[in-house]
Amino acid sequence: MTRYLRLYLYFLRFSFSRAMEFRMDFFFRVGMDALWYGTHLAFFWVVYEHTPTLGSWTLDQTLVFAASVFVSDAVHMTFFSNNMWMFPFLVNKGDLDYYVVRPVSSLFFVSLREFAANSFLNLLIAVGILVWALARYPAPLGAGSVTLYAFLLALGCLLNYAMNLLFMIPVFWMHNAAGLRDTYWGLGRFSSRPDGIYTGWVRRILTSVLPFALINSFPTRALFGDRPLEIALHVTGVTAAAFVLLVVTWRLGLRAYSSASS
Amino acid sequence: MTARLFLQVMSMEARRRMSYRVDFWINAVAGFVAEFAIVWFLWKAMFAESGADVVAGFSFEQVLVYYVVAILVGKLVRGTEFDGQPSEDIYQGGLNRYLVFPAPYFGMKYAQAAGALLPAVVQVVIFGAAWWLISGGAGMEGVTPTGTAMALAALALANMLYYMMAYTLHCISFWADNVWSLLVALRFATGLLGGLMVPLALFPDGLRRANEFLPFRNLFALPAEAFLGRTSFDAWLEGMVVGGVWLVVVTAVARLVWHRGQLQYSGIGI
Repeated sequence: MTRYLRLYLYFLRFSFSRAMEFRMDFFFRVGMDALWYGTHLAFFWVVYEHTPTLGSWTLDQTLVFAASVFVSDAVHMTFFSNNMWMFPFLVNKGDLDYYVVRPVSSLFFVSLREFAANSFLNLLIAVGILVWALARYPAPLGAGSVTLYAFLLALGCLLNYAMNLLFMIPVFWMHNAAGLRDTYWGLGRFSSRPDGIYTGWVRRILTSVLPFALINSFPTRALFGDRPLEIALHVTGVTAAAFVLLVVTWRLGLRAYSSASS
Repeated sequence: MTARLFLQVMSMEARRRMSYRVDFWINAVAGFVAEFAIVWFLWKAMFAESGADVVAGFSFEQVLVYYVVAILVGKLVRGTEFDGQPSEDIYQGGLNRYLVFPAPYFGMKYAQAAGALLPAVVQVVIFGAAWWLISGGAGMEGVTPTGTAMALAALALANMLYYMMAYTLHCISFWADNVWSLLVALRFATGLLGGLMVPLALFPDGLRRANEFLPFRNLFALPAEAFLGRTSFDAWLEGMVVGGVWLVVVTAVARLVWHRGQLQYSGIGI
C-alpha cells in the first residue's frame, strides 16, 4: 500500500510540473469548467421559474444535487478522465506493454497514471459550490446525514470510474473505442438530472444495469433523509459489483491483448 | 477559390467522414436517444409537477418537437468542431502545405467543414423521418413551405456564424498551447443561450430581450422556431439582420486574429 501511495505521489509531481508548462491551457480549462457550472445552474434556475419541484425536489435540493454533479465530474476529470482517454491508444499502439511488465497492478497504473492538475482547481471550485449549496439549504442537515452523503458521493465517483472503464475495455477485442467512449458520455448525461424524473423501466435500468442515477442522485437523496440505509446498501452493493466485474473483464482483456499487433 | 474546387474538397471530406460507419452509428443513435430521453423525462416531470397544460407557450407535444428539431439543427450547425480543424494544422505545422496551395486557407477549411456535415445530414433525415412516423406529426401543425424556407436560410447563416466563432478560437492556437477548452466553453455558452438546453421562451423577460441582440439565438432557436412556425416573418427578418451583423463582426475579428497569428507562426509545429 505504501509503495502505491509513493508511486502516486510521483504521478502527482510529474503531472503538476507538466501542467505548469502549458499555463494558458491550465486557465482555459478552469474557465471552461466554471462556465459549465454556470450554465448548469442557470438551466435549473430557468426550469424552476416554471415549476415548484422537479423530480419531487425543490430548487434548494436541486442546487445541492447540481453541486454534487460538479464535484463528481471534477473528481473524474482530475483523477481518471485523461487515463480513460489514453487507454485505447495504449492498447492499439502496443504501449500497454510498458504498463503490464511493471511490478505493480496494471489496472492501478492505467487508471491513475495521469493526474489532471488543471482540473484540480475545478475540483476546489466545485467543492466550494457544494459548500455554498449546503450552507444556503433552509432546513438543518445533521452531521450524520452529511457524512453519509459524502461517503456515498465518494462511492458514486468510484462507480463512475468503474463504469467508464468497463465501457472502454472492449477495445481489447474491438480495437476502436471511439463509439463506446461517446456512448458513455451520452449516457452519462442521465446522471446530471435528478433521478426522480425517471420512471418505469428506464428508472430500473438507471439504478441497476447502467447505474447512472447512483452517482449523484442517490447520495443527495440520502442527505435529505429519503430511506438513507436502503440507499447506502444499494449504492455500496452496486459499486462493489461493478468493481468485481471490472477486475474480471480487465483480466480477460489482458489475456486477449496481443501487444503492438492489437 | 473556385466553386469546383470547393465542391471537390467538400466531396472528399464527405466520403472520408462516412467511412467510419460503426462508430458513426453507435454515437449517432446512442447520443440522440439519450439526449431525447432526458428531455422527455424532464418535461414530463415539469408538466406533471407544475400542473400546467402549457409552459411558456409550449404544450408537451410542442416542446418535444422543438427539442427534436433543435437537436437536429444543432448537428447541422456545429458539424465537427474538434476534428481536422485549424488548431491541429497550427500545432502540427500542417498549415505549411495549405499556405503554398493556390487557394485560400479559409476556403479550403470551410469546404472541408461543409463536407464533414454529410453524416449530420444523414442523421437529420433518418431521425427526422423516424420522429415523424412515431409521433404522427403531433406538434408540427405550424410547419409550412414558407417556414421551411426561412428555416433553411437561418440554418445557413447559423452554420457560417458558428464556424466563424469556432474558427476565431482555433486561431488563438497561434499563441495558446491548447484551445480545446475554449471550443468546449463555446459549446456550453451557445447550448444555453442558443436555445438547445431550454427553449428561449422560458427565460425571464429581461434576459430574453437582451439575448435577442446577441448572436446565440441565431444558432439553434431561430432555425427551429422558423421551421415550426413559431416566429413571424418580421421577427425572423430581425433575427437574420442581427445574425448577419454578428457574422460580419466575428469574421472581422477572425481575420484580424488570423493575420496577427500568421506573424507568430514558425511552421515547425509544437
